[in-house]
Amino acid sequence: MATSKPRTSSFSRNLATVTSSTPGLKYGPNGTIFISSGIPDLDKILGGGFPLGSLVMVMEDAEAPHHMLLLRNFMSQGLVHKQPLLYASPSKDPKGFLGTLPTPGSSKDDKSRDRDPENENGLRIAWQYKKYFSDNQHHFDSNRDVKHEYCHDFDLRKPLEKHFISGQHIDCVSILDSPNLAALRDHCATFLAQFPRNASSISSAGRIAIQSFCAPQCTYSNMEWDMLSFIRSLRSMVRSSNAVAVVTFPPSLLSPSFSRRWQHMADTLLSVRAIPDEDKEMAKLLTGYQDMVGLLNVHKVARINTQVPVILDTTTFSIKLQKRRFLVLESLNQAPIDSSSGTSYGTSASCSGSSKTGTLDF
Amino acid sequence: MAESICRALRDGALQGEHAPALTIKDSIASPFGFHVFTHLLTQLSSNILAAKSQSRGLVLVALSRSPSFYLDLLNRIGIDVASSQKWIEILDCYTDPLGWKDALLASGNGGSLSNEASTGASLCRNVKDMDKLYSSIIELGKGIVEQGKVRFCVAIDSVNEILRHASISSVAGLLSNLRSNDRVSSIFWLSHSDLHEDRVTAVLEYMSSMVASIEPLNQSANGHRCNWESLPLLERNYWKGKFHVRFKRRNGRVRVMSEEFHVEQSAINFRSISSEDEIVNRSLLPKVQFNLQLSEKEQIDWAKELVNPFKFMMFGDHLRMARVKQNLFLLEYCRQMRTLARAR
Repeated sequence: MATSKPRTSSFSRNLATVTSSTPGLKYGPNGTIFISSGIPDLDKILGGGFPLGSLVMVMEDAEAPHHMLLLRNFMSQGLVHKQPLLYASPSKDPKGFLGTLPTPGSSKDDKSRDRDPENENGLRIAWQYKKYFSDNQHHFDSNRDVKHEYCHDFDLRKPLEKHFISGQHIDCVSILDSPNLAALRDHCATFLAQFPRNASSISSAGRIAIQSFCAPQCTYSNMEWDMLSFIRSLRSMVRSSNAVAVVTFPPSLLSPSFSRRWQHMADTLLSVRAIPDEDKEMAKLLTGYQDMVGLLNVHKVARINTQVPVILDTTTFSIKLQKRRFLVLESLNQAPIDSSSGTSYGTSASCSGSSKTGTLDF
Repeated sequence: MAESICRALRDGALQGEHAPALTIKDSIASPFGFHVFTHLLTQLSSNILAAKSQSRGLVLVALSRSPSFYLDLLNRIGIDVASSQKWIEILDCYTDPLGWKDALLASGNGGSLSNEASTGASLCRNVKDMDKLYSSIIELGKGIVEQGKVRFCVAIDSVNEILRHASISSVAGLLSNLRSNDRVSSIFWLSHSDLHEDRVTAVLEYMSSMVASIEPLNQSANGHRCNWESLPLLERNYWKGKFHVRFKRRNGRVRVMSEEFHVEQSAINFRSISSEDEIVNRSLLPKVQFNLQLSEKEQIDWAKELVNPFKFMMFGDHLRMARVKQNLFLLEYCRQMRTLARAR
């Protein structure tokens, strides 16, 4: 138990403490540059954020709109950092979606989630060591000004202020009526031409957000090979530019082989799932079921310029809305077994945060 | 639960939201989708007439039955169709969906074709054109309710009929346009799931906010098991079935509810699942025997939790991994024992 070190210190170099001049970018190992996803927990899970040049795909659940939460945070983060944005959606009026983007919450309150080990006085129990090795916490600057934070906590209840949206490079495209994907491909190409990847320092990064790519009401949604070749060309365009593209799609509407092919195309693959409401079994099994909104699975994490994969402790996280405003991802903790017979075992998927772990833990 | 569905359709949509949409899905094993559809239609109609619902009118797109059938049905139930205040409009896509009768008359061949007396239904002659269909539905609806914010409901008799003539993407476009129109309060449609590919059913479920599926009472594994003694029992059970509903709630969770229904003499009754059945359900939990020898598939499933391609690099970790696996097995074992203990 006490002998094993946390994996991060064995396999990856310490993150460079170089603070970049542009606030929205973070330099990571192996020459990758990250931009924030807009959700602090997701950045931590993915090892810093979305690397520039990667294609992120989110598999939607037909029964829950959680992919919209991810998209909203992603787009808001880009607007707050003044990164140009291209948004495509199957609705007639995509601009309307911009009105639902959240605003950064004030960073002063709600820092109780950062467990600051320095303030912990009293007995420190060694088997809870994972709590004290959160390496990303110390890299945030003491400068807590809203504009200069890499990743903001977004308050989903308040809409984004108008000055972030107006006067920005925001391009909204509706993909509802396009018979084929040539128009969208050209749009993406012209957008990505603004951020070529070359040896000189980068000025800014771009964000592409495509929502519900194979939505059934779009005329091209029957042409599976065309959609696949669009994704392939998008991926190659993004790879050679300083941008990140996030594409969400409902895999249940594709044939299984194409769903697999699309999943292979992704550099980072996430999926969101709905949870049943008022499920007594689940409420007994998991702590915090009341606050849970859905589940997030991390299937693949992008690793560019390296062959060392990211090995996560756990791949399933619960999506919660803290105080009904802030999006929080937590690993699943099993509720303690309350039967008196037998020993109870804490969850082995994660050692962090559970207040009542079992007698046997490691 | 049929009550909750009726309530959801009656309450309609909030401002700025898409209208709630219901898919009624049945199959040949339990083909009572149309009974459920008419039940909901009559419930909604009585709610509209009693002014209990958000909508003030109903547009019925009749594809698989003629409009006169519906008018008779409503009259039989006791719902006043020809009341002073017009509340229902039927779009007749049953009589002449592809405009063939018109073409025949025009070419002079079918001179003595009797025209159905118009029963207050508007005729649609081209089911293939989704845009035209959409605008006819909206026009009819606006004709019922006055100008302003008053809304109306839409009921589509059978989406399968439209899908015979139009592609699924255009039908999906029609449904999503109807849902997002701010004059539509709620919308529901019937679909027979075995008439189409799985993808079509998946698309219809994607477009809807509630999915009601009708299933037979006991699904036998092999459908050809015909035991002569149990034929009367099978026949009795044919008229009963299970009614499962999945609600997509606003908080992003899915509410799953189940009920039993019983069809007698073209009327359908719903009742909640009796408690004996619930205990029966519990005993259908997977076997609890603790299995140390896991099959290949089970090993793969467990291994998914521990993704570790570089095993050879992790020297001291063999023991830790074994301990983790052991703890996972014990965890699952305790979980299963706990559910068993609870059921007792």
